[in-house]
Amino acid sequence: MAILDADIPAAADDGARRSIARRIAAGAWASTEFKVGLFVFTALLLAALIYPEVSSLDPTRMNVRGRNTPPVFVGEGWSWAHPLGTDQLGRDMLLRSLVGLRYSLLIGVSTVILMLFVGSIVGLFAGYRGGLTDTVLMRITDAQLSIPMIILAIAILGVSRPTIPAIILVLGLSGWPVYARVMRSVVMAERKKEYVRGARVLGASDGRIMFRLILPLALPPIAFVAVLDVARMMIFESVLGFLGLGVQPPTPTFGNIIADGRKFLINAWWIATLPGVFLFVTLGSLNLMGAALERSRNRVYGGLS
Amino acid sequence: MFIVGFLARRLAQGAVIVFLVSFLIFTLLRVIPGDPVRLMAGGMAPDELIEQIAADMGLRDPIPVQFARYMGGVMRGDLGQSFVRPASGAAVGGAQFDDATRAERARVLSLIAETAPMTVQLALLSMVFALLIATPIGVAGGLYPGRWPDKLALYLGSLFVSLPNFWLGIVLVLLLSVNLRLLPAIGYQGFAWTILPAIVLAIEIAPFLIRTLTVSVAQIMRENFIAAATVRGLGRGRIVVAHALKNAAVPLLNLLGVQFSMLLGGVLVIEFIFDYPGLGLLTINAVLQRDFPLIQGIAIVTSAAFVLINIAVDLAATAIDPRLDY
Repeated sequence: MAILDADIPAAADDGARRSIARRIAAGAWASTEFKVGLFVFTALLLAALIYPEVSSLDPTRMNVRGRNTPPVFVGEGWSWAHPLGTDQLGRDMLLRSLVGLRYSLLIGVSTVILMLFVGSIVGLFAGYRGGLTDTVLMRITDAQLSIPMIILAIAILGVSRPTIPAIILVLGLSGWPVYARVMRSVVMAERKKEYVRGARVLGASDGRIMFRLILPLALPPIAFVAVLDVARMMIFESVLGFLGLGVQPPTPTFGNIIADGRKFLINAWWIATLPGVFLFVTLGSLNLMGAALERSRNRVYGGLS
Repeated sequence: MFIVGFLARRLAQGAVIVFLVSFLIFTLLRVIPGDPVRLMAGGMAPDELIEQIAADMGLRDPIPVQFARYMGGVMRGDLGQSFVRPASGAAVGGAQFDDATRAERARVLSLIAETAPMTVQLALLSMVFALLIATPIGVAGGLYPGRWPDKLALYLGSLFVSLPNFWLGIVLVLLLSVNLRLLPAIGYQGFAWTILPAIVLAIEIAPFLIRTLTVSVAQIMRENFIAAATVRGLGRGRIVVAHALKNAAVPLLNLLGVQFSMLLGGVLVIEFIFDYPGLGLLTINAVLQRDFPLIQGIAIVTSAAFVLINIAVDLAATAIDPRLDY
């Protein structure tokens, strides 16, 4: 984008001349659902970053006397000290959920960045080079696309030790094929355009054309919609935790809290359900932002919603 | 003649994909740490015994040799035997190792053949539910872009896609089975046990159907032939059902092909939660027990199913819209 922006004075504000990335962002910002999503998400993010630091409680310290305290206004014996109640070992649920949210976001965001990186590079080379490179890369992509991602992930994490980098690597490396396909189709369309031919006549190298001209144009529309995948990866992370293949206890994550709480569903329903509400609200805010960005992108490209 | 060429080409490509998948899984399982023999023989077995068993089973040969032997079996329709499951009854842990029972271990092919129909039943029922949920919402959203049905489709889609499937399963079990006693939930004793898992799976799939339907219906309603149909004097209902929906079915079918792996991933988790005896539960147990032949067998069968479903989807799409050319 930097190349394009430099040539255009800031005053040129009419729709057609602003960069595509800015038009998509502005279009999304205009919608209510994006603002709602952003507001909720920011609030949750701040809570996850600040509350565990200032709270005097410890997410892993047990307090057997105060176990199974219900959340506020529910049942008997609730207290403001534990707004979401405590679990079977007396650990504060709000704190555990927020720490879980930290890990979930960390893994979700890093995974998507990795997916985007690998997918874009593969798609860029396949689309730009064409021919044999294209055939080989795309057959590999198809093969990987036909293994259900979750089977691959549990197959690897089930036999090796699930650490955070391993989880990010496995999820990221099993999720890139979709990005590679989209990137390839965009690049194939761009490659034939006038400005690429012009750059080549001027003597630009392939690397320069790919990374300085095509990538800045092709990446933002894909990257914006990747917000939806952050939510999807957060679900995957919690599924892995639920199966016991995610971040290992005592570190709390949504998956392992819910898996633990499932055993106490009848006596203490809040242990399994409330972290899920937390996760659901977070994912909801991300998905609203993602959906608004996607619609805005479609409007920018298709002219209509 | 067209159909023969098409099938031959696609099946050949599919065979390459299945081969790549099996090679990938085969190599991965052997490269990453975790020794299945240790699990089979138990923690108490001496190291020499473990090495001897592993050598007898050919697990210490170079990977290409093992792979060639395995693929030789696959070509003859033999997916091998499970490492841990006996031919009858439940899986046994590796408390002690008894080599005499080796011969009676379950065949991978029959394990898959027993469980696959259960999963197909679950998947089909959930597709029906998903279509029932998504069609009215998605079509209405597409007919009135920018108005409230469109907003409703957006919000409901975002809502459904944000529900983690395993959590939704637990909440529905708590509400519908434990508190209201409407539906049975855990295990499988009859068709009724499929309903609740299918609902959870349907809610997981529905948002994708809603989004695709909204976009494609909105697109089709702007086409010239829709305007022309009004001029020809056709009623609105007829236009929507006969013209718009028929054309919107093609992207929906394509989605089915692309999202097949997501459907399988959902099946896996949901079968685990509901203890539903299908392919998904088998997979999870196979992974937890490091049952290499079973994992490989499942990977081959699912990738073959993926290939076949995508071919079927393309054929069906051509049948609906003869302009398409594959």
